[in-house]
Amino acid sequence: MKDVIYSILAIAGCVLIGKFIAYTLGGLPSSLYGLICFTLLLHFKVLSADKIKSSIEWIMKNMIVCFVPAGVGIIEHFDLIKQHGFAIVFIIFITTFLLITVIGVLFELKIRRQNSTQTTENLSE
Amino acid sequence: MAYTDQLLSVGMSTLLIVCTLGIYQFFALMQSKVKAIWLNPLLFSIIVISAGVIYLKMPFKEYFGHTQLLTSLIEPAVVALGFPLYQHLNTIKRQLSTLLLLFTLGVFIVISVSMILTVWLIAIPEVAVSLSLKSVTTPIALSLADALNGNASITAFAIILAGFFGAMFGPAWLNFINVRSAEAQGSAIGAASHSLGTATINKISYQHSAYGSLALILSAIITAIVSPFLIPFMFYCLS
Repeated sequence: MKDVIYSILAIAGCVLIGKFIAYTLGGLPSSLYGLICFTLLLHFKVLSADKIKSSIEWIMKNMIVCFVPAGVGIIEHFDLIKQHGFAIVFIIFITTFLLITVIGVLFELKIRRQNSTQTTENLSE
Repeated sequence: MAYTDQLLSVGMSTLLIVCTLGIYQFFALMQSKVKAIWLNPLLFSIIVISAGVIYLKMPFKEYFGHTQLLTSLIEPAVVALGFPLYQHLNTIKRQLSTLLLLFTLGVFIVISVSMILTVWLIAIPEVAVSLSLKSVTTPIALSLADALNGNASITAFAIILAGFFGAMFGPAWLNFINVRSAEAQGSAIGAASHSLGTATINKISYQHSAYGSLALILSAIITAIVSPFLIPFMFYCLS
């Protein structure tokens, strides 16, 4: 229970710091600043990762429910869907797979090349 | 009078949030029982709740207003993604330049291709902006959509679809095209399907979730920096 309160305070603190930075600096959305701040505070051991870990696992498992209300917003756009629904789904489908393929293939090639150079280095040693 | 109104509103909010959570939990449980990927709890909750809201003739704004609490939790949830990033910071440090280059390329490709296709097929600027932001995690995409004259709920819908496609077919497709390393799979799905995809591949391995959240974070930052220039530029080229 103590750990849960600690985690809530830690995350809430980072959300606030993120809002403050976004308000003063502008540029990126506040949640991104908050995320970077959370990472850095953990990295420099200002926050204890051990205390937060189990709460994070719970958040990761359940966070998707937060997207439901925004998704229901689609009922306001039935006309658009009726007229262009197929094109919209088609565009999203194509570009999502394009991106997955480009990044997946390029990164995989890079990793394989790295691994093969590493093995040759090991062999020459 | 005002006091009872307020009490009623709080009661209504509680009821709608409990219903939303209950319906989502029901489908989440169903999915873990049936173990079918197509039984996506998010998609099914949206369908059931949309049907309910339409049946009750409740305006969307009312439902959205009463469930604001859930939507506002997206922000702390994004902050929480800093945890897997922290855990793999050292792995990432070595590959930072590769990853930055890769995701910048990805952002340019996805924004330009979806702008071209949308302007060509649908020709509504608002929709073009909304669809080009669909790979970015919701809170960031929504603030970008506002700033760039997109439409928030179309953006939200596009984001969910992009997340849904990537989460559902992404791993199988990557295995099919022989992209098998956890790093490449995680990055590809995180970059294309943001937190929804990342939340789904969390279950495969921790490596997947680390690279997934890394990809989602870096892509979101890059999109936030690039899109205010790239989107107007694409409109200029396409007009």
